Amino acid sequence: MSSHIFTTRLKCLFRDRATVFWTMAFPIILALLFNATLRNIDKMADGFQPVDIAVVDNEMYENDSSFREALNAASDGENRIFSLTEASEEEAADLLRGGRISGYFTDGDLVSVTVGSSGFEASLMQTFADSYMQMHYASSDILEADPQSYETLMTAVKEKTGYLRDVSISDAEPDSAYSYFYALLAMACLYAGFWGLREAEDIQADLSVRAARVNIAPVKKGKAFFSSMAASFVLSMSEILLLFLFLRFVLGIDFGVRTNLVLLVTLAGCLLGLSGGAFIGAVVRGSENLKTGVMLGLTMTGCMLAGMMYQGIKIQIDRNAPALRWINPVNLLTDAYYNIYYLPALDRFWIDMAILGGFIAVFSIGTYLKIRRQKYASL
Amino acid sequence: MVITVKDLVKRYGDLVALDHFDLAVEEGEILGLLGPNGSGKTTALNCILSLLTYNSGEICVFDRPMAPDAYGTKRNIGVIMQNVAVFNELTVWENVFFFCGLYITDKAECRRLSEEAIDFAGLNDYRKFYPKKLSGGLLRRLNIACGIAHKPKLIILDEPTVAVDPQSRNKILEGIKQLNRNGATVVYTSHYMEEVEQICTRIIILDRGRIIANGTKEELKNMISLGEKITVETNTVSDGQLSVLKTLPGIDTVSFDGQELIIRSGKDRNNLESVLDFLKKQSIGYGRIYSEMPTLNDVFLELTGKELRD
Repeated sequence: MSSHIFTTRLKCLFRDRATVFWTMAFPIILALLFNATLRNIDKMADGFQPVDIAVVDNEMYENDSSFREALNAASDGENRIFSLTEASEEEAADLLRGGRISGYFTDGDLVSVTVGSSGFEASLMQTFADSYMQMHYASSDILEADPQSYETLMTAVKEKTGYLRDVSISDAEPDSAYSYFYALLAMACLYAGFWGLREAEDIQADLSVRAARVNIAPVKKGKAFFSSMAASFVLSMSEILLLFLFLRFVLGIDFGVRTNLVLLVTLAGCLLGLSGGAFIGAVVRGSENLKTGVMLGLTMTGCMLAGMMYQGIKIQIDRNAPALRWINPVNLLTDAYYNIYYLPALDRFWIDMAILGGFIAVFSIGTYLKIRRQKYASL
Repeated sequence: MVITVKDLVKRYGDLVALDHFDLAVEEGEILGLLGPNGSGKTTALNCILSLLTYNSGEICVFDRPMAPDAYGTKRNIGVIMQNVAVFNELTVWENVFFFCGLYITDKAECRRLSEEAIDFAGLNDYRKFYPKKLSGGLLRRLNIACGIAHKPKLIILDEPTVAVDPQSRNKILEGIKQLNRNGATVVYTSHYMEEVEQICTRIIILDRGRIIANGTKEELKNMISLGEKITVETNTVSDGQLSVLKTLPGIDTVSFDGQELIIRSGKDRNNLESVLDFLKKQSIGYGRIYSEMPTLNDVFLELTGKELRD
């Protein structure tokens, strides 16, 4: 009997094209879009274009060799940040009005910056001018106090030393872009809720006529429900694993070397999605559309707070509302994937897994208590 | 007894859906539960099937108390729901095989019974069709095939012909009679009095959760005072002629709306001959003239003061 229900149910679910699209094709399409977008961002970072600027070629500039040298250094070579034009003040203003330069410097007691509009280019020019003036005054003070230190000073200026260094706590390269894909995989896990929701609908006689027909048959309700849920689990787990393989081998997303743990998180995610969907299906009163809306709303809110749309939100939540990260299942799954990839220690991973287990238990018990009824007050 | 219901009360809040409802269904009969929408027919069936809780009363099926876990009893019941209850992702054959498989564990036997059910419902040409591709009538036939494939001894049909074309309706009604001839006891609910009259051996009329009449269709018609109704299509009857007509023996009421003259007689009275004689003597010209015996709707009207389809 169980195998009869299981195989028929599997057939039934597999042919439900709309749900198969949302649970399998949609995450893969999203992964492709994420991949295309993130690659373009990388290309933009790689292909930085020098900012077109001008400097007013006045008497002060002619006599200020240090500013000329600084500007020429910033406008020369492979890594130059400026593309420099020397011009009279009128010509520079014309170039700015014509949009051919982003701004121009005017040398004086202070180096002034004239820009057409605020933005990245204006910030870059202002930062350059501020750094130059800071260095200029510091050098003047040092030379005034010790004129003999000119050589030492020049050497020190040329050899800028950084006092901050990236120290990796892992062999893996930190890559925030992976978080988008981990969140996507977490979303796909929760989309298993579509199947769970359908199972709840198809087992409660007060929710669908198909369920009423099954309830009338000489089959134990629990047996019918678990056979159907098993079919949903097999299908949704297959879909999520397919997405995982696509991310890993087609898009090259690194999940680290602890594949068994990745599979454990995926299994937990799938069970969470199924039990969550069944819970919503059993508990929320209203139409199937309403329940689907509730499930989608909760899942997408979780995804947003876990940084799937914008990583800054996740950082803000970690800083300002850390409690929220522990009650957001998408965040727990995303973190678990990232922990496996990046962190050698698994303390936090197991905390995430324990909380996920708690969620699964609550949803499963809640669903059981709701669907164990065999008679209804109304149909 | 196939079904015994005693003193069943079911309330939805303040609304009494079944008010001390009693029912006894004997083996081999086709019992019709007739009543307008909301009269309690479906509620009664759902209580009998142990889908609904009820406030008080006793229900036995095949002389055993009915309960959700009465699997032995359930094995002998086939139910055809008011709404089509099939899976849209399964073909006609797969649907029948699936629901039959919930009752019959032996695969070969299940396959054989499913074939028979498909054949019985006239769905052989559609066995690979998905439900969405079927017309309303075919879908209803699939619904029936899913409910009776396991050869139940008791078949409960809850308004199985709603929104069905006349051709499919006749096929369905013929099928139900065939199932009964094959030995099944049938409980049939409908608000279509013609169907109930056509196939049921006994009829129970329900209103507001109470049984207001119980018997064969002849017995029910004998319960009321109304007899024959004669309709004459004419437009030339004077007030004087109407007054004379009313004095004829056996005639209860006469009404004329300018197009139809309607003459009603008392119970067990036939006045067609005397009316024809009257029309001839009075030289009243007419188009058609026809006589009708009281219907179940007339029974319902007299017993409750309202139409069956109100």
